[in-house]
Amino acid sequence: MIRSPVRTLAASVAVSLLALVTSASAVAQTKLTLWSHWADQDSKVAFVTDAVKRFEAKHPGVKVEITWYQKPQLYAALKTALRAHQAPDIFYAENDQTEYIDNGFLYDLSKDLNWSAIEPWAKQAWTFGKGTYGFPLEAWTVELYYNRDLMNKIGVTLPENGELSQAAFLDMVKKAKAAGITPIVQGVGDRPYPGAFLVHEPLLRKLGKADYMKLLKGELSWKDPRVIETLNYVKQIVDAGALPKAYTSIKMGEAHYYFHTNPGGLTFPMGSFYPSRAFNAPDKGGEPPNFPLGLMSFPAMDGGKCNNCKTLAAGGSFVVNAASKNPKLAVALLNEMATPEMGARWVKETLVQTGIKTDMSAIKGEHADYFKRLADASRGIDYFVGLPSQILQGQPKEVFAQVMNTAFPAGLLSVKDATDQMEAAMKAASK
Amino acid sequence: MKRAGAREDAGLRTPWLALSGFLLPALVMYAAFTAYPVARTFWNAFHKVLPNGNETWVGFANLRAILNNDPTFWKAVGNTLAWALVSPVLEVSLGLLLALALYARIPFARFFRIAWFTPVLISYVVVGILWMWIYNYDWGVANELLRLVGLDAWTRPWLGNPATALPALIFVTTWMWTGFNMVVLLAALSSLPSEVLEAAELDNCGWGRKLWFVIVPLVRPTILNLIVLSFIGKMKIFDLVWITTHGGPLWSTETVSTYVYKRAFDWSTFDLGYPSAIAAIWFVFVLAGVLILTSLLRSRERLEF
Repeated sequence: MIRSPVRTLAASVAVSLLALVTSASAVAQTKLTLWSHWADQDSKVAFVTDAVKRFEAKHPGVKVEITWYQKPQLYAALKTALRAHQAPDIFYAENDQTEYIDNGFLYDLSKDLNWSAIEPWAKQAWTFGKGTYGFPLEAWTVELYYNRDLMNKIGVTLPENGELSQAAFLDMVKKAKAAGITPIVQGVGDRPYPGAFLVHEPLLRKLGKADYMKLLKGELSWKDPRVIETLNYVKQIVDAGALPKAYTSIKMGEAHYYFHTNPGGLTFPMGSFYPSRAFNAPDKGGEPPNFPLGLMSFPAMDGGKCNNCKTLAAGGSFVVNAASKNPKLAVALLNEMATPEMGARWVKETLVQTGIKTDMSAIKGEHADYFKRLADASRGIDYFVGLPSQILQGQPKEVFAQVMNTAFPAGLLSVKDATDQMEAAMKAASK
Repeated sequence: MKRAGAREDAGLRTPWLALSGFLLPALVMYAAFTAYPVARTFWNAFHKVLPNGNETWVGFANLRAILNNDPTFWKAVGNTLAWALVSPVLEVSLGLLLALALYARIPFARFFRIAWFTPVLISYVVVGILWMWIYNYDWGVANELLRLVGLDAWTRPWLGNPATALPALIFVTTWMWTGFNMVVLLAALSSLPSEVLEAAELDNCGWGRKLWFVIVPLVRPTILNLIVLSFIGKMKIFDLVWITTHGGPLWSTETVSTYVYKRAFDWSTFDLGYPSAIAAIWFVFVLAGVLILTSLLRSRERLEF
């Protein structure tokens, strides 16, 4: 019998197709999606990407697709994606974004995340009601960096603990200004919080943690005599010409460069993520070689209730979408990062602190000395968890950003005007 | 005869099917991307609009809160209206002057036409970055020029001072759009009837009188259109403010558009009702503004020549 070539061909095609479909089914993949900030921060991208690779190796058949964003674009994309039920399984968030929790968008990580590896304060930063909703990978403290050579040049010797009195700090500012050196470098061109370091750190030290929290919650008046006294002191610093004239338009990256390279500045209040930019190569915006970086404290406030207080903030965190089809897998990916080894690796590679339990003084490598000094500066410190921009919400948050972050440090407002605006905003929000 | 008439009626009957076929795609696009969003915004304005279909009727509560309890809204309205009233006057009058210069065939007219029109071609994002450099206190061109001529006392952080930030941005948009008005007015001037202008010259009409009594009335419709376009454009300005000042310092450059965006995307809430209410109120403001402008500026006399 002679076979029909057409029939043979058709049979071959059918068998091939069947094999293809079967093999495709055999390697059908589960996909997890992750959206994150840090698109231009190579070390953080590398850390997360490596954690994903380790996770995929442990979970064959699971593929993680990462999309990197800049923060404002990420937040805008998430606002629409969450509404449209098209948000990723895991995404970057910060703990002031309580609207995600209020609208039921976040998966409760209380039971599934490896909390034994996380600092208790970091867990607390993400605990709302009965649930804990974020994995606090990044953390940072508010520090006051300074240029040791310029400090010597103006003839100021810091005490052992790096903390000057109010009067001595103001005197340091005036001496720097007289020497033609910018006393305090800062810029608020693209951030709603760093200008306020000069305001809220003295307030925290003056009021102590409990009353400072009351102030931010609207339970203590901005007209309280201690608040007025502190802001009057800050006004003296501002009026002494402490900040650059272009303060309101200098962006964060430009402020770093201003401090350590051109034109140079005496001090630089900044989050302890300073090294993530400053320790890069000079042609990538980093410090010049052998830059004499020092760490000091904000001034000890006269009659201050907590002069060893410092603000600690949970920074970039990851959360799981409550609508994710694979929440347990998503948490497993986060647990891949939530280990002491990964915590130490995060600190060493990104040069930023973490909410994972890590011994910073044990960090080895090129910048071990810096981390040892940071660890030393952190001894005996009583941390207040949360920035004002993370605790305030709505109109008070907006007013704080415009008034205490921008206008008041820029010398555009008196203490009376600044406190009037804050008081009005807090009262309106409480209605 | 009757049969012929019927055939004629049949030939003149409106081809609704064909018309619908041609119009439908455009109507669908218009409905989907213009009419529905506007209608939905007005609907949102009377609701609290949260995710997962959680929408609650609030009546006029959003509108009352905006009009009675939102100082930032009124600050944004003030800034936007100031911008929308000052800019058209500057842009159109400067555009007319430049158009007249080109019409009078000044030397290097072609070069100047390109140079003055080029800013129109640049996007707001690039313009914003460019002018942030120009306005920089320490090394920006503006302050460096002032220092060069000994006017150090006049140097300021132009975008960092509430008193100068908005005027500085108005200057930028004037720089950007004057060229567009120049080109349109030049076209209008070029199409003026030459016999009218010649008649004016024969009557020994000076240049100034010719401009005010002959040329301007003839190009008045063009001027009105340009003023209305500029007004509308400034009433919804967003990009330049977002790139340069983000509405600061102290809301001195906050516009209604930037405030709507902040309430919708920057604040810690998913509620779209409040920002929609702001947008709805502003839509009415803009419509009213255009009608008032058109009514005030339109010519009441027919020009005969």
